[in-house]
Parts: sequence; structure tokens; C-alpha cells
Amino acid sequence: MNSAGPTCWLTWPRPPLAATPREPDAAKATAQRISFSGPQARALWQPRLEPLRHAALAIELEMVRRKRIPATVLWTSYDDIGALTERARSIGLDAKPIKASLGYAADWSLEASIDDPKRLLDYAFLIGAAPLDTSIAEPAADGFEQTAIRFGYPACCAKSWADHLRRGGSDPLAGLLTCGDKTPVHAHVALAVLGLGPVRHAPCSSSCPATRERSHEFIDLGRELGFAEEMNWLDEIADWAVDASLVNGIAEVTTAAYRCTWLSDEGMPPRHGAAATRPAKRERAAAAIAKPADSADILTEIGIGFEAAGFDNPFAMRSRFSTVVWEQTAALRRAASVVHVGCGEGLLLELVSQTKPRLKLYGIEQDAAAAEAARRRVGASRPILGGSSIEALAALSRLAPEGIDLAFVDPERLGDREALAAVCAIAKSVIVIGTDRSLYRHNDIDTLAATMGLALLPGRAGRVSAALSATSGRPH
Amino acid sequence: MTVEVRPLGDKCNIKCRYCYQEGIRTAGNVPTRYDLDAIVATLDKLAEPFSLFGGEIMLTRRPDLERLMRLGFDRHGGVGMQTNGTLIEERDIELFRKYHVRVGISIDGPGPLNDARWAGSLPATRRATARIEAAIETLCREGMPPNVIVTLNRMNAAPDRLNVLCAWIGFLGGLGVRKLRLHLLEQDETEAGEGLALTAQENLAALRRLRRLEQELPSVQFDIFAEMAAMLGGDDAQTSCVFHACDPYATRAVVGVESDGRLGNCGRTNKDGVTHLRAGREAFDRQLSLYRTPQADGGCQDCRFFLACKGNCPGTAIGGDWRMRSIDCPVWFGLFEDIETERLANGQTAISRSEHRSELEAKMIAAWSIGDNPTLHSLLQQAEAT
Ligand code: SF4
Ligand code: SF4
Repeated sequence: MNSAGPTCWLTWPRPPLAATPREPDAAKATAQRISFSGPQARALWQPRLEPLRHAALAIELEMVRRKRIPATVLWTSYDDIGALTERARSIGLDAKPIKASLGYAADWSLEASIDDPKRLLDYAFLIGAAPLDTSIAEPAADGFEQTAIRFGYPACCAKSWADHLRRGGSDPLAGLLTCGDKTPVHAHVALAVLGLGPVRHAPCSSSCPATRERSHEFIDLGRELGFAEEMNWLDEIADWAVDASLVNGIAEVTTAAYRCTWLSDEGMPPRHGAAATRPAKRERAAAAIAKPADSADILTEIGIGFEAAGFDNPFAMRSRFSTVVWEQTAALRRAASVVHVGCGEGLLLELVSQTKPRLKLYGIEQDAAAAEAARRRVGASRPILGGSSIEALAALSRLAPEGIDLAFVDPERLGDREALAAVCAIAKSVIVIGTDRSLYRHNDIDTLAATMGLALLPGRAGRVSAALSATSGRPH
Repeated sequence: MTVEVRPLGDKCNIKCRYCYQEGIRTAGNVPTRYDLDAIVATLDKLAEPFSLFGGEIMLTRRPDLERLMRLGFDRHGGVGMQTNGTLIEERDIELFRKYHVRVGISIDGPGPLNDARWAGSLPATRRATARIEAAIETLCREGMPPNVIVTLNRMNAAPDRLNVLCAWIGFLGGLGVRKLRLHLLEQDETEAGEGLALTAQENLAALRRLRRLEQELPSVQFDIFAEMAAMLGGDDAQTSCVFHACDPYATRAVVGVESDGRLGNCGRTNKDGVTHLRAGREAFDRQLSLYRTPQADGGCQDCRFFLACKGNCPGTAIGGDWRMRSIDCPVWFGLFEDIETERLANGQTAISRSEHRSELEAKMIAAWSIGDNPTLHSLLQQAEAT
């Protein structure tokens, strides 16, 4: 067995217990399933759990020794049976095994798995003054209530727990959640499920005053035994908010410091929305989603006119223009004005405007229908100039006599060198764009430029856009 | 096991309307700094290949990112990276090449189809989308095609948009993208607020259409269909976490290495804004419960696909409660049925129709009861040998 960690576990609740609960050693299972809410919570509370376990055990055994209760039940591993019985004897008590249960594979050593199957089990021991009658831990149904009282239950809780057992229940949390009391589960229950803390029995309700009374007695005895610090922690924990739920046979308890879970025998209808820490639906920004347009509208939005622009499909055009804008991020950052010569229906201009909304944008497009579509896309305040490239560039010079910082061109589409020279005359920097058509033909943008007698500034071989070098394309 | 390194936790530069991490961010639980030495020490201890993850991993300072990439390359010959792609810059391309970074990019479609990945305003969203599209094209052109992760939602896969999505995926295939991962929108974040989630029928119709598309586009593979077929064939060696009996308290398939080097869980089940630390022991309570809980109560009782599906991801559980089966159950069930029918018609086996099914289920349940999680493949081999 894994010798690190606790060596024995108190049950929750204390007897009487159901004969065949799904998870007999539930406190151990639950303790192994603690999941802290963060590093700080773990740093604070993990080191406290072991002293709390030690205190709970000492208090419990003292209650037996003082004959407040006839006995208690402890689970331990095979390897720790000796230590447990020795500890009981040292305070004049006897220890007798009452049941065994298969543990978890994660705890098994390889040798035990192969040679020594008894070391794979966890064992429950009844600890009490000799002579010990082991039947008291699991009495017949008509003795539940009386046994519960003997084990320290207040009368109201003894009755409700006895009823719960008779209905076939085994998990005290189920009893609490179904009792009809709307008071939140008390924080000490979050420790009880780990076999720790002052709630030893199965409370009849979350607001049960007798349970509170018993808890005080436990804490008082703890202080008397010298566990002042541990009892102060229990006082601190008492104010925690706890969310507990049982869904389809799985119990979960959540506090600000940790959550833990165990497989319960009992199922309940899901309690959606009731749990304190279940997510409240997040308040969302008011930004409502535009009603989805139909396919045709969406394709228009993605980009029409792709064939004229030299692309295989609208996605290729959008992707390429997006890549051009991405590659030219630095140039765009420096620019105050941009023109796209042969702008088609204005997609590149739109993408540029989304990157830098305050840019002065101009488009030049000979096809009247495309130019109109471009105006709709980029807005009336951004001039889209019609007519031949030369005419439009002349008009642009009048509109922007100080010149344009950045011009985007597809040199193939522009056609003649005269038009390119006109672009170079007005633009301080000219960006050549590779379309599907030109890249299929020339493979890469440098070859495209070289074929057209243009020189590009150096850059990544796989780029799809590049700036003309200072002299390239300028009128000689 | 997938190790996800998350120096900045869930910190992200955009706010996808449906992101499962939004709860964490809303709760303000994102780290502002990280301890790279602690992260590296944890990675050394784990000695497993890892992926760079977020939030958005590209928010990490480049020298630190490069250190992690170099570590992945030196130890494991490369490193995975999951990004929204918006912060990739030209200079990063060389880093990716140098350190054999396998990039995965999340995008739901071109332009307006990606509007659910909200970046604060419509122009900002479209700008971000354009950058993602640029990153994908550039990586493809540079011979490093990324895997693409698409989340199906009303903006990209509503009946009147599905054809556009399919055509775009065809375009991606032409660019060089080979693998796509499909996610269904996480319903709990959106069901009340924004109406982004498709109905189960719409999701199923979309996935069926995409499955046909996969057959039409031989160069493109959607992981999910191949994985479902593998699960039905009893081969769970390569399939993803959603088919592997995930324990949300100690997600085995996904381990996060957080900003301070501690181990974290997969965040998909963190619905209340708290990133809980891993529990000390893995358990299969969810699967044990689902197996015996009637379907009417949120379980999977009597479902013949249970061995393959296991109730699917607890992060998608009904009502956001990990104890319930996946809210996408009708989608998984429908697809498993389609794949089962095809396998049987092709003379292949389907575990859902196997004579060994109940024996395998009993063995799996027994193993889960003691906290063990054998592979389906190993159980099947034993059953077939006897
Ligand atoms: S919660 Fe879901 S996504 Fe996360 S590891 Fe589990 S199955 Fe995978
Ligand atoms: S298909 Fe549905 S019922 Fe069947 S195992 Fe998956 S989630 Fe459960």
C-alpha cells in the first residue's frame, strides 16, 4: 500500500451504516478526490487537513474512552492494521475488523497486486471497550434509531437517519438535500465528507440546532485535548459558503477552497440552476449578432468579382488580400493615404480600412458596376474613381495633390508600363500584388516582377506582395 | 496524454462569444505573469511532448516563447501550438520553421463566417479574421500548413451558410491544409444569451454534410470522423480525449502546465470561473454513473455506443454539470449510427454490434470501479482470444 498520507479514516456518518454502500470507504475516496481552487487555497488548506484528521481521530477515540459513545469505526489499509490496533490498545480499547472493501488500483503496489491480494483491500475496524459486539455497527433495521443515539446522534437526527437507512439510503448528504430544509448545507459538512470536523453524524437538516450543539461539544473537547489551533480553523471554516449536490449518484461538495466528489449510492434529479456556484449565465456585451444573411449575401460579402481580379474563387481573393494587408502592416502603419489601382469591388480597400480606419482611401476601377459595388463596400466618403487608369490617376492627382503614400497594384491587370509609371508618379511607395493568375503563371512574386522588368525590394521568397524598389517602374 | 503549456493561462486578445474560457476571464482569474523556469522544470519532469496553448499563446514574450519552442524541438523534435492566429507576425514564420512548430489555428470561416470569434467590435473582429486568414495562407505557402480548428455555430454552419463553409474548406484544401478539427459550440455559454448554438438537428446535418465533403476532398481530413470510426472498430490508440473516459477532476488526456509550473486540468469543465487544481486520484465516477443512469435522466443507460462514446466530453455535459452526458448526444449518436451502418456494409466490425459488447462493458465497468481505465483495444483483444 501507499504509505504516504493518512493511515486511517473515520467514517461519515458514524454508525449505524448501510450494509452495502457503493463507496464503503467514502471518506478516503473523497479525500483523494480533493481538487483545490488554486495554488493559494492549496498552500493554505492542504497542510491543515492532516492536523484536522489527527484531531478528529483523537477526539473520537477520547469520546469512546470516556464512554460517551460505545465505539467508533475506522478504515485502514492492510499494512496499517498493526498501528491501528496498537493505538487502540494504548488507550485501553479493543479493535475488531468488521468488513473489508476493494480499494483503488492507484494505491496498490505491484507486489501486492501479484502476491498478496489481501493487501489490496481496505479494512473497517470497530474500536471500543472490550468485550466488543461487532453487530452494533450494523444493527437490524428496527435497531437503527437506538444505535444512532448510542453513537452520538441527537434524537431528531437518529430518527431521520434511521428512516433514511430503512428507505435503502446510505449517503447522509442525500438525506440532507432531500429533507426539505432550504438552509444552505453547513460548512462543516464539507469536512464531514472527508471524515473530519465536528459533524460526526447524519444531520436531520441543515438548520438542526441539536447538530450545532453536538458540534460545539466536539470543538470544546478538541480544545480540552490541546487542539486549539485546529479548533480555531474549524471556527473559521464554519462561515464558508458550501454548495452540495447529488446528481445521478455522484455527490459533489464545493467550497471556496476546494471541491470534492464521491460515488454515492443515491441519485437525485438534477438540480440545475439551484447550486450556488453553478455558473450564472454570463452577462454578454450588448453586441447582438446580425441576423445571418443567406448564402448569396454572404458570398457577396466575402467577395465578388474574383475572376476579374485574377482569383480562382472568392475565398482565394479574400485570403490573398488579407495576406497582402498582413504583409504590409508596417507600410500601412506609416501611411496616411492609400490607393488600390484596379480595386474591383473594393475588398482590399475594406480590409485596409479595418486595419487602419483613419487612412485616406481611394480606389480606381474601370468597370462601372464593380466601382459601384466598391462604393457600397467602403462607403461614400472614400472616392472610387472610374474611367481608364490614366484618367483616374490624373483625377486622383487633383484630389490628392500632395501625392499618395501607398499604392496597391496588380501589374498584370494594370497592363502597360505607362500606367505603372503614372502610379509611380503619384505614389511614394508601390506595392505589387500577386494574384492567383499571376502566381500560377510566374510561380512567385519575384519572377512575376522580373518578367515585367520590375525590381522589388528584397523579402521572404514566399510573400505575395512586395514594394517596388525606388527606381523600378519609374519613368526613365 | 497531451501536455498543454499555458504561461498566461486563459489570457486572450479576443473574446470568442462562445469560448469555454470566458467564465475564467469574467471571474478575473487570469495570471498576469509567469515563471518560465518553473514551467520548464515541470516540463522536464513530465518528459512528454507538449503543445503551447492558452488563452492565446502568442501573447507570450517572444524570447520566452522561443525558449519553449527550442525546448520542445531539442527534447521532442518539435512542439505543437494552438493559436487564434491573430498575433502571428512575419518574423514568427522563421521561428516556426526553425523549431518544427506544428501550428493549429482556430477559425470558423472566412470574413463574416468567423464573426462569432468576437474581438470587441465588428471592424476589429473582421480585422482579426483577416489576420488569421493571412496566417493560414502564409503558413501554407511556406510549406507548413496548419491544422485548422472550426467550431460549428450559427454564423458558419446554419443551413443557409453551410455550403459556403464547405466551399471554403475546399479552398483550404487547395491551399494545402490537410487536417481540420471540428468542434461543436459549447452550449452552456450561449443557450440563453446569444443564440449562436445550432440545434442538435442542425449540428448533425452539418456534420453529415462535412462528412460527405471529406469523401469528396480526399486531401482534407476531419479528425473527428476518423476517430469515431476507430472507436467503433475498437481501436482507441490514437483517438482524442473526448472518447477516453475523461475525469474532469484529473483530466488524463489533457494536462495543463500553468503559469507557475503547477499542473492543471483541462479547463473545459470549469464553468464557474475557477481553475481547480488536479485531484490526487483519477476516478471514473462519471462513466460509472452514466452507464447505469437512464437516458431520460441524463445518463447513457443501454446506449449501444457507450463503449465508444462514454458520454463524451464532460465539458459539454447537459446543464454544464459534468455528471451528465454530453448535450451533443443526439449528434454523436446519429454519427455513430451512420458510421456503424457503413462499417457493417463494408464488412468491418462495429463494437456497438459486437457479440462481445456486454462482456466488454462489464469488464470496463469493473476496471473503472477500481479506478483503472484499460484501453478498449486491450479488452477487445482479450475477448477475441477467448
Ligand atoms: S474536459 Fe473534454 S476536452 Fe477536456 S480533457 Fe476532458 S474530454 Fe477532453
Ligand atoms: S451517444 Fe449519447 S447516450 Fe450514447 S454514449 Fe454517447 S452521449 Fe451517451
